[in-house]
Amino acid sequence: MLQVENISKSFGGIRAVDGCSMTVERGSITGLIGPNGSGKTTLFNLITGFYPPDLGQIRFDDRPIHGLLPSRICHRGIGRTFQMTRLFWKMTVLENMIVPVRQVGWKTLFSRGVKTHEEERALELLETVGLVGYRNEEARRLSFGQQKLLEFAAVLMADPELILLDEPAGGVNPVMIEKTMSFVEELNRRGKTFLVVEHNMRLVMDLCQYVVVLDHGQKIGEGEPAQVQNDPIVLEAYLGSANHAGA
Amino acid sequence: MRLLRVPPWAWIGGGLIALLAFPIVQRGQYYQHLMVMTMMAAVLASSWNILGGYTGYTSLGHAAFFGLGGYLVALAHNQFGWHPFISTWFLGLVVMGVALILGWIALRTHGSAFVVVTIAMVFIFRIVALNLGEITNGARGLTQPRPGWGGVQWSPEIMKIPFHYIMLALLCLTVLVSWRIRLSKFGLGLVAIREDEGKAEAVGIDALVYKVLAFGISAYFVAVAGGIYSYFFTYIDPQFIFNIFTSVTMVLIAILGGRGTLWGPVLGAFIMEPLGDWLVGTFGGTQIHLAVFGAILLGVMLFMPQGILPSLSDWLKRLTRSRGAGRLGPEPGAGQDASSAAKT
Amino acid sequence: MTIPSTHLFVQTLILGVLVGGVYALMASGLTLIFGVMRVINVAHGAFLILGAYCTYWLFTLTGLDPLLSLVITVPLLFAIGWVVQRYLLTRIQNPEQASVLVTFAMAITLEGLMGTVWKTTLRTVRPDYASKVIELASYRLPVTRLAGFAAALIVLILLYIILQRTNLGRAIRATIQDRNAARLVGVNVEMVAALTFGIGIATAAAGGSLLSMIYSFNASSQTDWISRVLSIIVLGGMGSLPGALLAALVLGVMEQLTAIVITLYWSPIVFYIFLFLTLIVRPQGLMGEVVREKA
Repeated sequence: MLQVENISKSFGGIRAVDGCSMTVERGSITGLIGPNGSGKTTLFNLITGFYPPDLGQIRFDDRPIHGLLPSRICHRGIGRTFQMTRLFWKMTVLENMIVPVRQVGWKTLFSRGVKTHEEERALELLETVGLVGYRNEEARRLSFGQQKLLEFAAVLMADPELILLDEPAGGVNPVMIEKTMSFVEELNRRGKTFLVVEHNMRLVMDLCQYVVVLDHGQKIGEGEPAQVQNDPIVLEAYLGSANHAGA
Repeated sequence: MRLLRVPPWAWIGGGLIALLAFPIVQRGQYYQHLMVMTMMAAVLASSWNILGGYTGYTSLGHAAFFGLGGYLVALAHNQFGWHPFISTWFLGLVVMGVALILGWIALRTHGSAFVVVTIAMVFIFRIVALNLGEITNGARGLTQPRPGWGGVQWSPEIMKIPFHYIMLALLCLTVLVSWRIRLSKFGLGLVAIREDEGKAEAVGIDALVYKVLAFGISAYFVAVAGGIYSYFFTYIDPQFIFNIFTSVTMVLIAILGGRGTLWGPVLGAFIMEPLGDWLVGTFGGTQIHLAVFGAILLGVMLFMPQGILPSLSDWLKRLTRSRGAGRLGPEPGAGQDASSAAKT
Repeated sequence: MTIPSTHLFVQTLILGVLVGGVYALMASGLTLIFGVMRVINVAHGAFLILGAYCTYWLFTLTGLDPLLSLVITVPLLFAIGWVVQRYLLTRIQNPEQASVLVTFAMAITLEGLMGTVWKTTLRTVRPDYASKVIELASYRLPVTRLAGFAAALIVLILLYIILQRTNLGRAIRATIQDRNAARLVGVNVEMVAALTFGIGIATAAAGGSLLSMIYSFNASSQTDWISRVLSIIVLGGMGSLPGALLAALVLGVMEQLTAIVITLYWSPIVFYIFLFLTLIVRPQGLMGEVVREKA
């Protein structure tokens, strides 16, 4: 479904992503792991159009998407959440849900009716994630975990096929993590594909069917979670400096 | 306190009736003139607000569209005999087209760079108007015949009255469109762009398209006003009409009244225009009135950057727990404190 | 349109470079201020004119040469700039948004005050060498413009030395790169901001005194100047000093060429048209960075 081919991106002198290639299969929950600074978020930014790659291609459903505007990529069917949760803080929960644009058209933009129809969908989704009671609260008044959930739910309003989650468990309490995980699994059963960046290994092992490992901007391993967990190269990458520092 | 229980539409209706009756009740030409100018200021500020208030992109270039509207109407009147009261509505669309093109280029920049680009627009128009002498009559400006209809000039006593009503119509149209935008998904998108343009893009809002549309729409009413203006004064020239000062006045009025709100710019106009008129009257044509204007702008920006309406509406809300003329996302600048606190 | 001969073409080029040097001086202060404080100082033009007026009055009252009067005007305007920053600009709540309007307010207040005090008479400073011209290889170099270019060069080199070789300069560069990081390593960011603004306005003094010799001016000239200088820094790329210098030279040359090839009256428009054309292709300016999202 998503093919990243030999992508490179440098910032100044630093190669954040260096000839990385990977694939995300349709209908899968794929994990993307690697030590800090390995280029995971940069890869997300490349896929979703926040920067153009220096080299390489990205294809979604066999159509190239590298270099497109983020809004265009959103319309193609890719949604994402941000590592540092990004919401329209001063808007209400409901407004945050209605902002995303599923399809472009004059009627969509200017007619009042659309807003009410979307309100139904939004309220349904909010009901599913348990936030419907907060619908008129400003987003900034929610708790951290609720905000992450809201960001996720809002992304779904644009009806994406592929959803990129950037550290959905970061800083979130275990109960909320469970909630998010089961939500992801439910959506996956209904056909949504996920690419998840995570540091929480337990979540990756339980949730993901396939895992890709990055280090220093390159792919250093991939496979099923159990395989990857025992891959010496992967271990080296995570623990590497400790080994070399000498005890 | 019973005053606060009056529903919003009653205020609007009352205001409308007052404005409709105004020229009949108030016969003084000076006041009629002032009211026309005040309503025009309200049109300009409300129109600017569609871009500057909703999306947060501060344009100092709207004087360019004001002037262009004025010139096109004057030219059409002198060359083809088109009556400004009719032609201005259509020629405004031409100006809107120009604005869409210029906006498509200018709105690729952000923040301060954008402001500079809009300033450049005003200068481009001014220099073009000055130099295309065969068409625009250069620095000598364009004069139109004295206002009238069907060959009959309006007598001085009643001359202001038709302008009053056409300006009132324009004001109603401007506020109506601004209101409809607020209620639509387009409007919500504009505010999203203001709050976090990157995030807006990520959820499918093509920011450039939205901004350019807002730019174009905001240029339309300004241009129509310019057309009426050139007829009202029967004279325009480049130095006078393509003027950054005009742009800044629009901005000041919108900010004073409440940037991003529906009625703020209108309120601001009803305060600033009479005040400005008084200033010019008191301090004459000297440069001092520039200094005073600058001081007012400085004061507003430093001490009351949200403007009057948001502060007022906060106060009112605390008293009545009611909502205003339709909430369009957050009021800009309201509660600047907690957004970072909420993220931890 | 008149196609110039090669000789005229080169002559115009030279003149354009000389003028560009002065523009570069004016733009450098503005770029520095933007880099450190993220403030677009729209009042820069007004300060330029203030510098020009100071030079004019020093010259008229005491006969002090405009270039020598820099000794007085530069510290004077530095002090004014420092005070303005410390007591006015620090009050702005939302610098990125509000600075344009606040500094614009300052500009018109200044314009109003200057216009009231010095009326609308156009002034120029005419030292003895005002009409002298140096001939170099059959090209004519007006002395005032040559002096202007030389002075601009000296000031720019001084600026470079300050920025690259002194501790203050290092502190300024650090603040430009990352305000918070600079604070963390002990840079007094508030002091740096005040000093930088002072330096920026001081360059306006220099620019103004050069301006006074080459052009006639009054209080309302400030709008023409600020719009040009603003166009220069946006064209060059906001915050990029080399970009501003490049843009200044480019626009100086283009302005002179337009004056010769088309007419003098169209030449100011070159700034703005060129800016627009560049923005179509490069919205970030000639040497600006593409500020993309950090997610």
